[in-house]
Amino acid sequence: MGSESGANEQKLVREAQAGSSAAMAELYSLHWRRAYRAAYLVVHDAAAAEDVAQDAFLAAVDALDRFDLRRPFAPWLHRIVVNRALDWARREALRRRVDGAESVFEPLPPPEEVGGEMIAALKDLPAEQRAVVVLRHLLEYTPGEIASMLDLPRGTVNSRLRRGLDRLRETAELDAVGEERR
Amino acid sequence: MSRRDALGRALREVEIPLPGGAEERGLRVVEAAFAERTSGGSELRGAMTPKTSERLGGRPLPRLALSLGLAALLAVLVLSPAGAAVRSWVDEVLTAPTPRPEPTLGEIPGGGRLLIQSAAGPWVVQPDGSRRLLGDYEEATWSPRGLYVAVAEGRTLSAVEPDGTPHWSSTAPARVSDPRWAPFGTRIAYRAGRTLRVIAGDGTEDQLVAGSSAPIAPSWSPLGDPTLAYVSGAGALRLVNSESLVDLAAAPALDDVAEIEWGAGGKSILEASHGALRLREVQPRKLPPRPSIAVTHSLPVPAGATVADAALAPKRETVAAVLTNWRNHGTRSSIVVYGPGEAKPRRLLTVPGSLGEVAWSPDGRKLLVTWPAVNEWLFLPLGRGRESAVANISRAFAPGGRAASFPRVDGWCCRR
Repeated sequence: MGSESGANEQKLVREAQAGSSAAMAELYSLHWRRAYRAAYLVVHDAAAAEDVAQDAFLAAVDALDRFDLRRPFAPWLHRIVVNRALDWARREALRRRVDGAESVFEPLPPPEEVGGEMIAALKDLPAEQRAVVVLRHLLEYTPGEIASMLDLPRGTVNSRLRRGLDRLRETAELDAVGEERR
Repeated sequence: MSRRDALGRALREVEIPLPGGAEERGLRVVEAAFAERTSGGSELRGAMTPKTSERLGGRPLPRLALSLGLAALLAVLVLSPAGAAVRSWVDEVLTAPTPRPEPTLGEIPGGGRLLIQSAAGPWVVQPDGSRRLLGDYEEATWSPRGLYVAVAEGRTLSAVEPDGTPHWSSTAPARVSDPRWAPFGTRIAYRAGRTLRVIAGDGTEDQLVAGSSAPIAPSWSPLGDPTLAYVSGAGALRLVNSESLVDLAAAPALDDVAEIEWGAGGKSILEASHGALRLREVQPRKLPPRPSIAVTHSLPVPAGATVADAALAPKRETVAAVLTNWRNHGTRSSIVVYGPGEAKPRRLLTVPGSLGEVAWSPDGRKLLVTWPAVNEWLFLPLGRGRESAVANISRAFAPGGRAASFPRVDGWCCRR
């Protein structure tokens, strides 16, 4: 985030803390689509992603008074989004193991014409690997920042990232990903 | 472009499903939560909860039904083969005569006690017809054995005895609505703003269960476990363990779902919208007890008809519904009953105009159907027995006998 947009966001947070609903709405508009995309790429269920994004903003509203203005807003929100998405994905995985193969979800199918392979490849990763890939490559956090967000050792983040990218590399569109690490 | 950018760009640009209106829906929820935070509830009250006068029109279904356009009705009439197949059982029936109403409310046909929400507040009606106003509350729900009533007013949820004696009160973070007492008696689920919460039956251990829920009352599992069904803000029917907070199952709810109700046997959940009725099969699991939502059974609604209200019987998975048809020569409403395993619903009565709500008697042998247009309640037997009607209902629930709006039925409770 540039310093100008960072200053603007800080101003919006300050105004929201002071009770400005317009500032809160602008913060929402600035961040919702990215939050939803990050949630979807972890949970792969549109309704669940909508819930996760909405819950994250509600948590942000609840904690607004405690928010430290010296820190940027986006990482704080993304930390909530990705952790909630991970919680959801873990619960769903557990439920599937308990209930057997039958799925009770009827998620919208991924679009086939654009990015279908990418979605499918990402979906095949364990949720923990999806989360670090999304944080690293969609939201562009460093492994150190991701370790802090997920409360994990940095080595664990690196290994999850490495395994995730190895598996994604098998997707034709993403051959370049593997080369990146060499 | 760097190698890493290739993946980043793919993640940013890959097309993902986006539910229609999701961003706007979320914004409304966040704005309401923000207003609640900054104003202590006053903005939320105006923004999210219908006015008392609107609420007394009944649950959301009748309003939904009235708002449906004629064009949509015609389209359904022409296009729906399922609707056409069952059209006759409403269309070809002549309007049945209704019983001569009693001028005042006396003994309740079918027994039990009623909880009636009027503009002045909830009333408890005893089996002999005597009634008591509980206080200035906006919503009420029976405890499972009728020993207490949970009542909501603003941000306060309280438990009172049926004679109005207060037991406890709890202040929620936002405006309270849709309280529902669990069948095992130890928990009450309710909505606070857009959130779903559960509190112990003694007013302690209040906790958040879901951050976002649709404006529809939750429904408890009847099996004695702490499982709660609710519709999320994103429109999914979800089952959650209200103690461990573990999400147990989810599935897309009906579009525009207005009501859910868990059947007495625990095996199905009724979903009702203005245009459809369906039973979702719930499959209990043995180890651990995690239910899942599986097969769906659509209940046939005649082409051109809308669902004004629906209710599951207390002991069997039988559904009673109020269906309304708009016709060239005026509106007609029918009470129909969908029996378990029956291919076709049974029509109990058709009347001119719009009927309101339907409620089952505690023994499942009678239906109370409200008829606001003529200010009457109808009591219809399911088997043998006599139909009966009571007139002047609004006046019966207006302190001092003043004319008032038509009251809502909030519960028909167990015999003592």
